[in-house]
Amino acid sequence: MLLYASKLCFIVMASKPQRIRHLVGATWQSAMKKARTMSTETHTESSMKDGFSKYADYLNNLNDKRERVVKASRDITMNSKKVIFQVHRMSKQNKEEVLDKAVKDLTAVTDQYLSRLIKELQGTDFWKLRRAYSPGVQEYVEAATLCNFCKTGTLLTLDEMNATLIPLSDPSVEPLQINILDYILGLADLTGELMRLAIGRISEGELDFAEKICSFVREIYRNLTLIAPEMDDSSDMKQKMETMLQSVMKIENACFSVHVRGSEYIPLLGPADTSYPLLGMPDIE
Amino acid sequence: MISAFRNTLFSHYLLNPKPFFSLLLISTQKSTFVSSTSSLCKPRSHSTFLSTLMAGGDFLNPSSDKLEKQFEDFRHHLEESGNLRERIRAVATEIDSVTRLIYASLLLVHQSRPVAEVIEKAKSQIGVLKELYSRLSEIIRECPGQYYRYHGDWKSETQTVVSLLAFMHWLETGNLVLHSEVEEKLGLTPTEFGLDVDDYLIGICFMSNELPRYVVNQVTAGDYDCPRKVLKFLTDLHAAFRMLNLRNDFLRKKFDGMKYDLRKVEEVFYDVKIRGLAANGDSTGEKQAQGQS
Repeated sequence: MLLYASKLCFIVMASKPQRIRHLVGATWQSAMKKARTMSTETHTESSMKDGFSKYADYLNNLNDKRERVVKASRDITMNSKKVIFQVHRMSKQNKEEVLDKAVKDLTAVTDQYLSRLIKELQGTDFWKLRRAYSPGVQEYVEAATLCNFCKTGTLLTLDEMNATLIPLSDPSVEPLQINILDYILGLADLTGELMRLAIGRISEGELDFAEKICSFVREIYRNLTLIAPEMDDSSDMKQKMETMLQSVMKIENACFSVHVRGSEYIPLLGPADTSYPLLGMPDIE
Repeated sequence: MISAFRNTLFSHYLLNPKPFFSLLLISTQKSTFVSSTSSLCKPRSHSTFLSTLMAGGDFLNPSSDKLEKQFEDFRHHLEESGNLRERIRAVATEIDSVTRLIYASLLLVHQSRPVAEVIEKAKSQIGVLKELYSRLSEIIRECPGQYYRYHGDWKSETQTVVSLLAFMHWLETGNLVLHSEVEEKLGLTPTEFGLDVDDYLIGICFMSNELPRYVVNQVTAGDYDCPRKVLKFLTDLHAAFRMLNLRNDFLRKKFDGMKYDLRKVEEVFYDVKIRGLAANGDSTGEKQAQGQS
């Protein structure tokens, strides 16, 4: 008896360092052994195993889908950014041309990448996987509204945007509609881009365009102040609102300084010269 | 504020007589300007100026209505979803207080109260939970397809519910309660308002946290077979969890913590076994187990 106990003790101690691995490895083996003796426990184990293989399938499928959605979203982000850069390439001379290309690029993003996201989502899990595709959609909203603003001077509404997405969805599934939250978050980012655009326009002397941007951005900021606290994840939005205010003020300050300094030069330039009211410098080109 | 606006406006026109606007805009600007200068002293004209400025200036007039309307719609929508969320939170708080009651009664197992009695008391609350979940699913029915938009508001409460149900089920039967069984106990229907698999699995991890303490107290109370049973169960559970490919998320973290529960139970088992307590405790343990069921 004593011998047995010490032997047992030895075995237990020897196996201590790799106990977990050992025990886990032996699980199914011991399950087989028990099967002969205890029918209830076998039942438990097999139902546990069945259950977990179901959960494993579920998790695998969901994770794969999420991964594909993330990839699609990343592509949307990347290509939407390109559209935004394209818009920034505009100057006084080539505005039409540059914007036409931007719109064309945007259509390509919609047709190629956004439609892939729609395909991956297959009309389900819009809210469940929102975190996975939200960054891409926000960037897309930003690009689309920026293009639209430069073209028409107005805000592209969510309904108008969603209307363009309906043909991309398979009619048999629920179509992907950009949700309010992503749209608003995208608009918040739009301000940053418009700020850059406004600064660029001012340095080229297009003050009217800059002022147009300024009042547009002000209007968006004003409307969003009412909405921001009601958002689902308002902490994120709060931060964006602060950045947005910074952008609005940057545009306003730029407009202000050009306005103040520009006015000093105008009498010198005379009313006939309309091309350089701001800088008061001769044309280099 | 009004004077600030006025100053900006006037300085604009007085200092900067040559505006940089397109032709069409100049004409509208000029007419406004003339009318306002002619009535300079009247406060009314300032207020009209102010309102056009506030409404987006001269540039957005045709579209600003559309813009305003859209944002107004957004506000309505968000207010509604905010109300919905508040109602969900109210139910979730009630669920939380019920789970506290259940947990408090379940804690008596650590004080060696008979399992049957403990479970009986805890079970009496399950009906309340069921009722609360049916209220929750009714609220969610109002916004079809948006289950996961609000999921975060009842997630952690549900995880606790799962862990308690699983612990009770284990005390009763020695088996792991399955996902479908939890849904059944709570009266949930997978098509309408199901139990999220992640929530179920996290709840199971929570339940495993309770086991080391249970084992320690059972041994102290003289049930020397308990460590063997718990160790077997926990080993199987751990092995089953290893079948899952987890992401680097909360569930993964919880699962990683499970091995410490396993180790603790192993240590208790080891302590009992090395002293030969399990050998002579086996029969009493069996008897107790029989007495419990």
